[in-house]
Amino acid sequence: MIIKGGFVYDPANGVYGEEMDISIEGGKVVEESRDGKEIDALGMLVMPGGVDAHAHIAGAKVNCGRIMRPEDGRRGIEPKTKLLRPQTGYTVPNCYAVGYRYARLGYTCAFEAATPILESRHTHEELEEIPIIDKGALTLFGNNWEVLECVRDGDLDKLAAFISWGLSASRGYGVKVVNPGGGEAWGFGGNVKGIDDPVPNFGVTPREIIRGLMKANEILRLPHSVHLHTNNLGKPGNYETTLATLKAVEDIAATRDRQVLHVTHMQFSAYGGTGWRDFESKAPEIADYFNSHAQFTMDMGQLIFGSATTMTADAPLEYGNARLLHAKWSNHDIELEESSGVVPLVYGRKMPINAIQWAIGLELALLTKNPWQVIMTTDHPNGGPFVNYPEVIALLMSRAKREEELASLHELASKRSSLPSIEREMDWNDIAIVTRAAPAKILGLPEKGHLGLGADGDVAIYDINPTDLDPSKDHSKVKEAFAKAKYTIKGGEVVVRDGEVVAVPQGRTYWVDASVPEDQAAKVKADLVEKFAKYYSIQMSNYMVQDAYVTHPRVVKAGVI
Amino acid sequence: MREIRVVPRRDFRVPVEAEKISPDIFAPLTIEEIRKVEVWEGNRKQALIDLFEISGDGDPAKPEEVLIKLDGNFSRVKRVGEKMTCGRIGALGDIGMHAGNGMAGGEIAIKGSAGDWLGREMRGGKITVRGDAGDYVGAGYRGEACGMRGGEILIEGSAGDYLGEHLCGGTITVLGNAGDFPGIANRGGVIVIGGDAHLPGAEMASGTITVRGRARVLPSYQYQETVEIDGLSLKKFLGDLVDNGKGELRVASVEERGA
Repeated sequence: MIIKGGFVYDPANGVYGEEMDISIEGGKVVEESRDGKEIDALGMLVMPGGVDAHAHIAGAKVNCGRIMRPEDGRRGIEPKTKLLRPQTGYTVPNCYAVGYRYARLGYTCAFEAATPILESRHTHEELEEIPIIDKGALTLFGNNWEVLECVRDGDLDKLAAFISWGLSASRGYGVKVVNPGGGEAWGFGGNVKGIDDPVPNFGVTPREIIRGLMKANEILRLPHSVHLHTNNLGKPGNYETTLATLKAVEDIAATRDRQVLHVTHMQFSAYGGTGWRDFESKAPEIADYFNSHAQFTMDMGQLIFGSATTMTADAPLEYGNARLLHAKWSNHDIELEESSGVVPLVYGRKMPINAIQWAIGLELALLTKNPWQVIMTTDHPNGGPFVNYPEVIALLMSRAKREEELASLHELASKRSSLPSIEREMDWNDIAIVTRAAPAKILGLPEKGHLGLGADGDVAIYDINPTDLDPSKDHSKVKEAFAKAKYTIKGGEVVVRDGEVVAVPQGRTYWVDASVPEDQAAKVKADLVEKFAKYYSIQMSNYMVQDAYVTHPRVVKAGVI
Repeated sequence: MREIRVVPRRDFRVPVEAEKISPDIFAPLTIEEIRKVEVWEGNRKQALIDLFEISGDGDPAKPEEVLIKLDGNFSRVKRVGEKMTCGRIGALGDIGMHAGNGMAGGEIAIKGSAGDWLGREMRGGKITVRGDAGDYVGAGYRGEACGMRGGEILIEGSAGDYLGEHLCGGTITVLGNAGDFPGIANRGGVIVIGGDAHLPGAEMASGTITVRGRARVLPSYQYQETVEIDGLSLKKFLGDLVDNGKGELRVASVEERGA
C-alpha cells in the first residue's frame, strides 16, 4: 500500500509536514510497496496511528462501572450492523465500542492503566473482545504484600524477581503504582498521608516503596518505567506531595533510553490550597520542575465537562469522592494486592473546583516546554471519556478556543490558574508528539508512534490541509477532523474510511517477559506458595493468566539475563 | 387541529416499540408517509400500516396542531409519545409501558389505564389517566439520578409501586391509592396521593409528599406539627433523616407499626 501525497508529521523521525508517500507491506512501513494499493491523501494530514498510554478500558473495575451505571449504557447506543457488533455506553463503553471509537479517532493502540494480578484474567477476557487496536495492561504492584515485604527487607533482587513473576502471571506490560501503601492501609480503614507515613503492619513508607519498585524496574530493564499515581491524589495542596515524591527519586537513573518515572494524570496531583475553599492550581510549579528535570514524564489527565466515571485502585480517594458528592460508590478489596473503588460523577462548568481542574490539565501541557514530557490523556473515564480527545487537541491548539471556554466557566478557573495568560498554541508537530510519538516512546514501543522503516503500518489520515488551515481560528474544524479520521490504517489494513469502521481485525496484546536468575525466582516462589496456602482465596494454579487468555500476544523480552 | 386515528389491526402478542407514534414525528408527514414509518414488533421491523390502520387528515401540519387518537387495545404498545414536545395524544383505551418517556411538552390523555414507567424522566407537558397506572410513574430509569424534572401527571385511579422514584421536579397527583415507596429517593417535586400509601419518601432529599389517606411513616421521619390543607388536618414530618434529607411529608392518618 502506498499512502500518496499527504502532509506527513512524524516527529520521531524529524519529519515536519513534508509532502511524502508512505509505503506499507506485510503490516510494516517499508521502502517500497508493490501490491498496487493506493490511498490518496493529497492535501491531508498524515500521522502515525494514535497511542493512548493511560486509559481504563478493560477489567474488573471498568465492568463494575458498567454494572453500576445502566444509565451510562443507554448513552451512546449504536445498533449492530452487518460488520459491527452493538455498542453501548459513553464513559464506560462496552468492549466493541472501545475498539471502534479509538479507531475512528485514528488511534491504533491503547493501554489499560491498572490491573491487579488477581483480576488479570478478567482484564484479558475484555482486551480480547476489544477489536482493531493493539493493547496491553499495566500491572499493579504498589500495595502488594510481597512487594512491601521485599522493600522492608531491602531485597531488590527478590523484588525484581517478583515483578518478573507478576508480569508473567498477569500477562502485564509494566509496573503500575497507585497510592503506594495507601491501598493496603485502606484495608484497615486508613490511608497514608504522605510519602513518609509508614504503612500499617509493614512499617515501610511510600518513599521506600516507590524507590524500591523503580530500582527493581531498572534492574529488569523493562521497556516502560514505573507508572505512578501519586499519594494524596485528588486532595488540595497535594502538589507538595508530588514534588516531594519526584525529589525523592532524582538520584535513580534509567537503564534504558526513556524516562525513569512516569507520573500519570498529573492534573489530579497539581493542586494547591489548604482545603476546597482556597483550592488553586499549582500546575506552574509542577511544569517548572519538569522543565528542569528531563528524566520524568507525565500525562495530562485532562478534565472534560459532563459525565465521568472515576475508577481507581486508590480506594480511600473514592470513599472521599462518594462522601463528598453523595454519589453511588463501589469499593473492592483485592486480597493481598490492592483495594479499589468506582464513583460516577458529573463535572460542571459552573462548579469552581471542576473549572479549576479543567484549567490545570491544560496549564500542565502548555507550560511544560518539552512536549515529549507531557502526553495527552483524559485518564479515561476518570477525567472524561477518550472520545473527547479531539476537544483537547483543539484546546491545546487554540488560545481563542480556550478563551471561549473560560468565558463559560466559573470565574475561579481564570482567577486560580494561570491559563488566561498562557499564549502558547501547539502546532501539528506538538500534537503528533503528545498523541502518538511520545506515548509510544514513554511506553517503550519502538514500532509504534512513528512511520520510519520497520514501524508498524499504523497510520491516521485526517481531512485537514495543515498548510491552509489556521487551527487557532478554525478550531472547530480541527475538532471535527480529529473526531472522524478520513482513514485509519492498522497494520496496513484500512479499518476506518470517512469516519466509519470498515474492517475489524483483531489487534495484539503486549506483555513483558522479564528473565531473572533462578535462585531469585525460587525465593519468590517459596514465598508465594506460603501466601497462597495461607491467605489467598484461590489456588495459584487458578491464578495465572494462561496463554489461552491472550490469543494474539506480542511478547517483549526484558530482564536481568 | 389535524386529527390522525390509529387503530391496531390485531391484539399484539409481543410488545411493539412505538416511540414513533408522536406528534413531532407525524406532523411533517402525509398519511401515506406515516403508514410507512417503521417500528419494531419484538425483533421484527414493521411498517406502521402492517400493525395499525391509520386514517385522518392527510396534509402535514405543525406538530402543535396534531392530535393522535389511539383507538383500541394499546396495552402492549410501548413508548408512545416518547420525547414529544407538543401536540396531543388521546388514548381511548389502555396504553402500554413507557408512555410519554422524557416528554417535554404537549399532552397525553388516557381514558383507560397506563402501564409501568408512565412519564418516566418527563421534563414538561401533561399526562392524564382516567384509570390506574402501573409502577414507576414519573421515575428515572435504572441507574438514573433524576426521574421526572417538570410537567404534570394526573392519575384518577390508583398507582403502583415506586411512584415518582428519583423525582426532581414537576407534580404527580394520584386521586386513588399508591403502592409501596412512593417518592423514593426524591430530590424535589410534588407528589399528592388522595388515598393510602405505604412507606412514602424513603431516602427523600427534598420535595413534598402529601398523603391524604393512611400511610405508614418511616421511623427516620421526624414529626413537626399538624397543618391544615384544603380542609384536611395533616401531620407534617421532616426527612428522610437517614440521608440528612430536608423533604416534607404530610400524612392525614398515620398507620401505627403492627397495625
